[in-house]
Amino acid sequence: MKEKILLFLGADWDKSLLIGLPIALCVLVTLFLDFFGFEVPTALYVVDGLLILGAFLHFTITQGLVTYVFKRTGEALVVVMVIATLTFLLLRLVPGGPFDQEKALPPEVKANIEAKYKLNAPIYEQYFDYMAKLAQGDLGESYKYIGRPITDILAETLPSSVQLGIYALLISFLIGIPAGVYAASRHNTMADSLTMITAISGVALPSFLVAPLLILFFSFYLEWLPPALWEGPEYYILPIITLGVRPAAVIARLTRSSVLDVIRSDYIRTARAKGLSEMVILYKHVLKNSLIPVLTFSGPLVAGVLTGSFVIELIFAVPGMAKHLIQSVSNRDYPLILGTTLVFSLVLVFANLIVDLLYAYFDPRIKLT
Amino acid sequence: MRAVLMSLLSLTLILGTAGCTKKKKADYDLDIATTLRINISTEPPSLDWHKSTDTTSALIQDNMMEGLVEYNLTDKELGLKPALATEWRAENNNQTWFFTIRKGVKWTDGQELTAQQFIDGWQRLLTPATAAEYAYFLYGIKNARPFNEGKLTDFSQVGVSVTDKGELKVELTSPTAYFPYLLTHHSTFPVRLDVIAKHGDQWIEPGKIVTLGAYTLKVWDHDKAIVLERNEGYYGEKAKTKHILAYMINELSTALNLFNAGKIDAQTQLPSTELRELRKRAEYRETGILSIYYYGFNVKKPPLDNPIVRKAISHAIDRKEVTQMLDGGQIPLTSWVPPGMFGYEPNMGTEFSPDKAKQLLEQAGYKDRSKFPKIEIGFNTNDDHKRVAENIQAQLKRNLGIDVELKNEEWKVYLKSLKTDPPHIFRLGWLADYPDPDNFLNLMTSYSENNHTRWGSKEFDDLIAKAVGLATQEMRAQVYTEAQKILTEKDVPVAPIYASVAHSLVAPRVVDFPFNSMQRFVFKGVSLK
Amino acid sequence: MSTGSTSAVIQSPSVSPSVPRKKPQSLWGDAIKRLKKNKAAVVSAYFVLLVCLVAIFAEQLAPYPFDIQDMSKILQGPTAENWLGTDSLGRDLFSRIIFGARMSMAVGIFTAVISLVIGVFVGAVAGWFGGKMDAVLMRFVDILYSVPTLVLLILVKVIFDSVQMFENPELKALTGITLALSVVGWVTLARVVRGQVLQVREMTYVEAARALGASGPWIVIRHVIPNIMGPIIVLLTYQIPSNILFESFLSFIGLGLQPPFSSWGVLANEGWRSLRTYPHLMIWPGVALFLAMLAFQLFGDGLRDAFDPQMKGKT
Repeated sequence: MKEKILLFLGADWDKSLLIGLPIALCVLVTLFLDFFGFEVPTALYVVDGLLILGAFLHFTITQGLVTYVFKRTGEALVVVMVIATLTFLLLRLVPGGPFDQEKALPPEVKANIEAKYKLNAPIYEQYFDYMAKLAQGDLGESYKYIGRPITDILAETLPSSVQLGIYALLISFLIGIPAGVYAASRHNTMADSLTMITAISGVALPSFLVAPLLILFFSFYLEWLPPALWEGPEYYILPIITLGVRPAAVIARLTRSSVLDVIRSDYIRTARAKGLSEMVILYKHVLKNSLIPVLTFSGPLVAGVLTGSFVIELIFAVPGMAKHLIQSVSNRDYPLILGTTLVFSLVLVFANLIVDLLYAYFDPRIKLT
Repeated sequence: MRAVLMSLLSLTLILGTAGCTKKKKADYDLDIATTLRINISTEPPSLDWHKSTDTTSALIQDNMMEGLVEYNLTDKELGLKPALATEWRAENNNQTWFFTIRKGVKWTDGQELTAQQFIDGWQRLLTPATAAEYAYFLYGIKNARPFNEGKLTDFSQVGVSVTDKGELKVELTSPTAYFPYLLTHHSTFPVRLDVIAKHGDQWIEPGKIVTLGAYTLKVWDHDKAIVLERNEGYYGEKAKTKHILAYMINELSTALNLFNAGKIDAQTQLPSTELRELRKRAEYRETGILSIYYYGFNVKKPPLDNPIVRKAISHAIDRKEVTQMLDGGQIPLTSWVPPGMFGYEPNMGTEFSPDKAKQLLEQAGYKDRSKFPKIEIGFNTNDDHKRVAENIQAQLKRNLGIDVELKNEEWKVYLKSLKTDPPHIFRLGWLADYPDPDNFLNLMTSYSENNHTRWGSKEFDDLIAKAVGLATQEMRAQVYTEAQKILTEKDVPVAPIYASVAHSLVAPRVVDFPFNSMQRFVFKGVSLK
Repeated sequence: MSTGSTSAVIQSPSVSPSVPRKKPQSLWGDAIKRLKKNKAAVVSAYFVLLVCLVAIFAEQLAPYPFDIQDMSKILQGPTAENWLGTDSLGRDLFSRIIFGARMSMAVGIFTAVISLVIGVFVGAVAGWFGGKMDAVLMRFVDILYSVPTLVLLILVKVIFDSVQMFENPELKALTGITLALSVVGWVTLARVVRGQVLQVREMTYVEAARALGASGPWIVIRHVIPNIMGPIIVLLTYQIPSNILFESFLSFIGLGLQPPFSSWGVLANEGWRSLRTYPHLMIWPGVALFLAMLAFQLFGDGLRDAFDPQMKGKT
């Protein structure tokens, strides 16, 4: 029995599965509990964190990638600093200031405000001031939400955004990969074409059109799900689907083409010639190899989910951070714009780093230097 | 390795199942039957009533705090009634005011209200370091302005003090008939400096904040919701509804969906294109508000430097067509002061007349329309402003034969353009700070920060200055009529378009929802069926 | 938002190594032959062509001008006079969708072209000169990749909206949005072009040209660029719909095209809030958008397969 399972899972990636599966299982259990509205014990998060960290360390050390990871982390920090600088400068190019409003302020009041936020200082001074504070982890105070530290705002809104993003990514993989494999296994048939047309349709509509359609159907026609808010599992479903549709479609297409690629390769032919069953071939050899391109796409995928989440957060009233990303720009709330931009950049940069590491892990031919 | 992983895994699962007992709270454990659920659109920028400047924060503050006086919301004309002051009187031709502070009012921590707490509040508002935007609200008080500028550092010289009888005495720089109206505003509320000193910027969080209104702040779940709870120690009649749950739903169509799904009881802003359908519903209400929507002319930009051209354009705009298109019950307006307060002149201004408009344009020397320079209508990016601008563009083409271009700008960019180089014609609106015509007419004085037309008239300025000192409403109304004539018939630096209307949906179970022309949402009188 | 659809295909290793590098003529001939066999792609190509024609001849095709208002016909459903109904100013929705095709296509194509010029230039310079130049340029590209697209897009859109360099009102309306989208759009192109140039530069005939004393820029223009046209064209076919979608997304935040002109994105955005009351306002622009996206994708897929004989040959 055990052999069979292992065979089914692909014996030659035994090792990766032995590490990967428990981690995935733990994380999934956590997500599952969280999704269904249970108060997840902190210990569980800690265990998840430790598991991931442990696997990560184990991998970097055994593969001799410690210096590489350090180097990349350093680079990432530099990139984030550059982004902070760019954004800071770009903000000053954008016309209109944070305290311009419909009812104009008397000059005295304006002077007081500018003095308080040091907006009357030369730009380079403001810049160095900001960077110095940033280095200490202080992102300043919001102009719009008077007196509120940016870190507080981020800490309060990030969890919902992360929840939304992770669920969306999860379902996009859960739908996208099987759909892609299915289409590839039925290559050049009706089923293949249908799956792919569906997938293309998934990227053909902007989410602000998909969302109202889903709300109309599920909330008002069927009356199954609430039309908005973020208060429990039934509330999560529509936003997650709306956000997940696009990445799911992209993953399906990607999986299909890379599975096709692998199927045509010589070693699969050899495997076939050896008389291994189709199922074994598909899971043991094909899936592993064809997941690599899908994996490399995870970086841009994270970016897409981050960007797309704004529409979802707005339409479904999710108390997340992407909303602040947009609204802070219209408010010219400089510290908040910078804060949210930095968080998003950090997520992107590290997503890319992790993807590169996973890439190296799954494909030993790739050397990271 | 394997053993370690397996044990970790089982540990996780055990922990997971162990933690499965507690459900997350969704609606803050409130009983819906005694909770009024509303939508305040956004996270309130600050609950500090000296620092906030927006209507969302004001709504929460108005329910947990009070000023010396408050609006009588059941009065159509919005008179004032006693709140923290039991009575008040003016001396010296409306220039010195006395307020008797109510006895026995208790803050939520049990301390009694004193007159000094008002002075503390005003001093805080005016202190330069507070950087309060609404500091200018008190600029009418003697020496308040120099104190706010930092030129004067001794607050005792500012014209506010406590008399021997314990009254609050306010000295103004000039006669101001409407002064008590300012005291309904949150920026003039009293404050507990000891609480602020104790908690710093965090003093506005639940558990720390000390207030005295009909409700207290129970939960502030940032970016999600606020829960207010009835203040059982309130000095007046206790609030009728136990809790108020205020969601922060930004998107109007989302709020409408939630209303339709029965998740919120009242929504006081509606998507404008839906009004046509929504007005068929029993829950729908239209409320006239003290707000105008107007097009301003940049009188320094040719050809609009010629008053005849401005007049021609104003005559060529059929306000009725605009309001019909918007279909939200807006009232076409050709004069300046909106209906709902004295000084409203329904028959004043440039009436719609394409013939007159064409005649005037020809008189100005543009018989050949091709000689008419290209002009621009500017507005800030917004679907409704866009619709109005597109409609007026079409009207000017149809009624006057001139081509205008539309230019929309993002809000803050637009504000900057208005300050530095306003387009030929620009859209703006004005919402009353206090229900007095002065608030509207003052806007167009040559020294007003909000007059972006570049137009100024000594005659007009003098009339406005004169009116605030007059004793009776009739006398003031007469002067305002004269001023409005200059503004909308003689010089025409502005073309008023309509007086705005607020649209709301309120569930049938809500009784006595506070509809009023100042959009003050004080919920203590609201009950639920 | 829609970066996914384009970069996905391009970054997939199954595509990039298979650059056709034979003589251009046979490449194009083969490609077209292969394309013709792909029915979905052919139908899509015709549809794209149709949209282009509609965009060009909008004045002749539309029953009404796009901005004529009729206050007696506000927000009507489909009638004999207005086939797809009217909007909140009584304008004919069908005509507005036809004119919307023009603006949407203009945004898509202009942006793609500007991105192409910048992307090819930067990519070619980085790939050809290599070394420090390459390192600096590519690091810059990396940084742009890590900036959240949305923030960058909004900021540059607000800045570029004040750029006024055309008298023509349609071009004026397009300037801000096109420039803003290009700032974001060229990055992917630069990466791909650089990769291609790096490969082509080592080819014998290029080395031969170099040995014969041809100058760098000449070789790049004469030999390298024509050889990487295939992947570039495929990329462009993906860029156009992606730009159109991005534009609709900017309309959503209120930063789209300047009125009174409407793209499909602007129209859809005017309509989505009224789905329950006036469904036609959202459905028809949505359908137009959907069909065009679908066609561009299928056509793009067809082109990619056509230019990638390695892949097709094996089926």
